[in-house]
Amino acid sequence: MSAFPNDPKTQVMRQVQQEAAMQNARMLVEKLNEHCFERCVPKPGTSLSKGEEACFTACMEKYMSAWNTVSKTYVARIQRESQQSAGGLQNAL
Amino acid sequence: MDLGGASSSLAGLDLNKLSDRDKHELQQFVVNESQKARIQSSIHSLTDTCFRKCIPGGTIKKGQLDKYEEPCVRQCVDRFLDANLVVLKELERLRQ
Repeated sequence: MSAFPNDPKTQVMRQVQQEAAMQNARMLVEKLNEHCFERCVPKPGTSLSKGEEACFTACMEKYMSAWNTVSKTYVARIQRESQQSAGGLQNAL
Repeated sequence: MDLGGASSSLAGLDLNKLSDRDKHELQQFVVNESQKARIQSSIHSLTDTCFRKCIPGGTIKKGQLDKYEEPCVRQCVDRFLDANLVVLKELERLRQ
């Protein structure tokens, strides 16, 4: 980002990026839990069964694949639309 | 942008000491990061909606998206955005 890793500007930038990454990760964890718990543990027992755990692992992987697919599709669309009309992007978001 | 949690580690920084050029660069940086954050937040909400629609209920056995789920997710994103445009257009029409 800069040749001086400790100058105030770089510090602020780094902090902003860390906050953004943190927020993103927090959101993903929240969604993963919400979706996968609903699907994999319909009737909570006295402990998580092996089957429930396996479902959770598969569900997490699937959710993250879906996240990546959505991300690719969405970003491609934004780029396509911002090329068509430079001013239209702001409205679409 | 909320920097509430950041204040501690940035304490003692005097941003007034930055040059005008740095201030401007920083401002642009924050604008860009906010834009990115907005896009990521849309991706989260789209994934939420499309996962619900495209992944059949019940226990999940395989981690990868299968050949029905993957196109479904892609179409879900595109149709959701189309629908969004319809809403915006209709509101625009009503406003006139």
